[in-house]
Amino acid sequence: MGRGYIVEECVEKYLTDLSAAAGSCETGLFIGQCSAQRDFVVLAVRTPHRETEGVTESQRKPSSPDSIDVEWVAEHARQVSRMLPGGVSVLGLFLVAPPEVSKEAQNTLKKLVFAVDKSISKSKLWDPSEDDVTERITLHICSKTRKAVCKTFDVKDPKCSAKPADWRYQSGISSSWPLITCNVQVDLQIPVTSENVDKSIKDGLRTWAKQIESALCLINGRAVTDDAELLSGPKKSTKASQQQTVRAQLLVSAEDADAGQMSSAVVQECSGSVRVSGAVHCRAYIHTNKPKTRHAAQALKRDVVNTVFSRIEMLLEDLLMNEGDLVSGQQDLPQRVFAPLSGSGMSVCDYIFPDENTADVAERFKEMLGCDLAEGDVDISMEAQTRCSVLGVEDGCSEETTPTMHTQPSSEVVPKKKTALQYAAGMAVAAAVALLATATSLLYLNE
Amino acid sequence: MVLTENSDFIFRLKGVLEFFCQLGGSNEAHGQSSISKAFQALRSRISSESLVFMVCNSPILLWPNKTFHSSLESVREETPCRDIQQHIELEDGANRKSSKRRDKKDAGPILVNLKLLMEVTESEHSGALSLCRVTNKQQFVMMPLCMDCVIDAGGHDMLGSVCSGLVEALRAQLSDMEQTVLRYRKDRTLPVPQPFHFSLPASERLLTVIYPAGVTDDQLLSVREELHRKHDLPSDRPYFRRANAFHFPGEAYKDGYLRNPHTHLSAPSIEDGKLFVVRGVYSYHHYMQDRVDDNGWGCAYRSLQTICSWFQQQGYTERSVPTHKQIQQALVDVGDKEPSFLGSRQWIGSIEVQAVLNQLLGVNSKILFVSRGSELGSKGRELATHFQTEGTPIMIGGGVLAHTILGVAWSETSGQIRFLILDPHYTGGEDLQTITDKGCSGFICTSFSFKDSDRVLT
Repeated sequence: MGRGYIVEECVEKYLTDLSAAAGSCETGLFIGQCSAQRDFVVLAVRTPHRETEGVTESQRKPSSPDSIDVEWVAEHARQVSRMLPGGVSVLGLFLVAPPEVSKEAQNTLKKLVFAVDKSISKSKLWDPSEDDVTERITLHICSKTRKAVCKTFDVKDPKCSAKPADWRYQSGISSSWPLITCNVQVDLQIPVTSENVDKSIKDGLRTWAKQIESALCLINGRAVTDDAELLSGPKKSTKASQQQTVRAQLLVSAEDADAGQMSSAVVQECSGSVRVSGAVHCRAYIHTNKPKTRHAAQALKRDVVNTVFSRIEMLLEDLLMNEGDLVSGQQDLPQRVFAPLSGSGMSVCDYIFPDENTADVAERFKEMLGCDLAEGDVDISMEAQTRCSVLGVEDGCSEETTPTMHTQPSSEVVPKKKTALQYAAGMAVAAAVALLATATSLLYLNE
Repeated sequence: MVLTENSDFIFRLKGVLEFFCQLGGSNEAHGQSSISKAFQALRSRISSESLVFMVCNSPILLWPNKTFHSSLESVREETPCRDIQQHIELEDGANRKSSKRRDKKDAGPILVNLKLLMEVTESEHSGALSLCRVTNKQQFVMMPLCMDCVIDAGGHDMLGSVCSGLVEALRAQLSDMEQTVLRYRKDRTLPVPQPFHFSLPASERLLTVIYPAGVTDDQLLSVREELHRKHDLPSDRPYFRRANAFHFPGEAYKDGYLRNPHTHLSAPSIEDGKLFVVRGVYSYHHYMQDRVDDNGWGCAYRSLQTICSWFQQQGYTERSVPTHKQIQQALVDVGDKEPSFLGSRQWIGSIEVQAVLNQLLGVNSKILFVSRGSELGSKGRELATHFQTEGTPIMIGGGVLAHTILGVAWSETSGQIRFLILDPHYTGGEDLQTITDKGCSGFICTSFSFKDSDRVLT
């Protein structure tokens, strides 16, 4: 008896439609939540086709498992995992392939599972814990017979063999998953010790991540204990019941094992420093199968760490693509925005740079997660758009670091790389958003 | 737990604050102002709403700067601070039992431990996340500051005032640390400031002093002289050495040795009898400790270690308690023994103990010869005077056996006497109950049956 998977019904329809249309190989990801007993698959999403110039649609689709672009699938998984709130992750992969190549399917899936896991863990600052599930689900669907074979691989063991799994469809599995949320204030001063700024930043963030990981978490004002259950009140609350929103707080202590032994301060020669400051909005979802508060706390803490690291990674990647360098002075990190995931009670997220607009984000949700969204579905209200400015650093060499509110809205920042047309569209949207915001505030005032 | 109305409380707040500052350039004054600014930043952090005190082993969390917010409905600003007690869970049954016993015996202050935390979550949105890079050559200086503040309070004192007192104490401690860091800094080497609490004879309160880590007690002589003057203390007895630091009830000693096991005994009843015991703190050294199998030959070594531990913990010496090997080496060094003695399992006697004390600690001791065990009983006055004036433990050796005398219960009128002895022949674990039950620390009558007992006095 293998691991059990409870799968959202719409995933079945998605896979059926996909295999009907597929003339050749299709790959994609399963997204959902792990728990000690079983995993919940909420969403399946196809790997987008790589846009390469001069290649026709039919050429882009891999015709056999051999021609699948493993790197591309792994990169998609990495991008997708950035868009998932805490508690939700990439659980596995599917492969739709014609019967002629079905023999290779298991090997291909195994290869993909490991590549995806490697790619995702590269962007994780936290260490997996003992009770983290390491099995990943794979589903091989024959494009002709529609027959599906469900197996799991253990990413902890590269020599593992495929194990059978129990795959069952159910509807509305995530509709009442409680939402755990908090806003976290970040203020990190990171010394840049090596030539490699990225590495210094990553090291600095890792120390901070450890502190968050060991933070005391309060859920609804109460400290999280080992085995307390998250959902109090009558058990088996009906499915129709409304989704709960749970407020969490994190309390940190700079506990240091060597603190008692040190006799003098650590001095590091450095070429400068990087300060990351501001507030981030964090979210985690947890299944309703007797969830424990500590699991909820863990999911939220991981989201805190992920959302900060993802943004810094995105900024650095953006610079790399434009062959720029991290310049002195203050710059905005992308803002986190949310969008509802249809057919579930959850929302997914994305990050919006100052020179982007909600249409760009909606497009990305479509491409990456297959979400059909109207621009209005994108919620940009969860985080402030104005940053705190760090005074006196404009010249890049002062250590005055008193933060004050900066009044300039970031939408006024001149775009870096968009075409004029996109910019105009962006401005129109921004204006519309502003109008909407005014209208809303008027409504509130009337109340 | 029943408390008397006037029982006092000590609130002790501990926690680590991360200090960092950037030192650039070679300007001395600039460096100083950078350090001061960094301390100022920490002071403003502890004045912020995110400061949280957690009462250890309880569900109570307090936000002292957030118009006194608490995690429990029933715990409010005006709550008398002794009510905190009922929320604190003792770790296990045995603990509760022993603490009850202690409460009955000496109505010392009750310790409430608190931990310093910082809340990183916030209810309101503040500025968006941004990244700011500064490029200039500099030194990044980091160290953890182990904050450790104590304040005492009466049971009726309001919790709100206790908390604001602790916030004030934190601020003051940061300022003291700043002074220490600036005073002992050598260019870019910043000493880690460490707080120590001292209990002074004439005062109920604990006095907190910040010493720079890595600077020895000897180098801090002038600082201590100043403290002695300020608090009007005699200069012939150490009060402010690190070893004199107050030991909080329930706090484990890092080395694992038991301290003063005799304090858990009750005094024997002798008509007119008075108790004269060792003054201060010693650790109990006995057979089989430190992975040394000295069962059958090491009793005088252990007795000597107990005496050395007393000198160390009273702050008379910074020398750590000597090992068997160091004791043997010292005896070879003074010419008392041949080099072949090193690493042997030969037992030693009072003469050797005296020699080692002199060699390693520079302590002069006196040997009293007693021809028969019973004769020791006649030395009551002498022993009582010793404990009154010197307060040092005494070693008693007779033939191959050695014990430590920690005190006497003696009646001046009848001459009746009981000795408080500590037995180094114990081979078990560091369990107080077992030790007391086995009589390894206990009062005995004058029934020594040694031929020639001799003792080492200081």
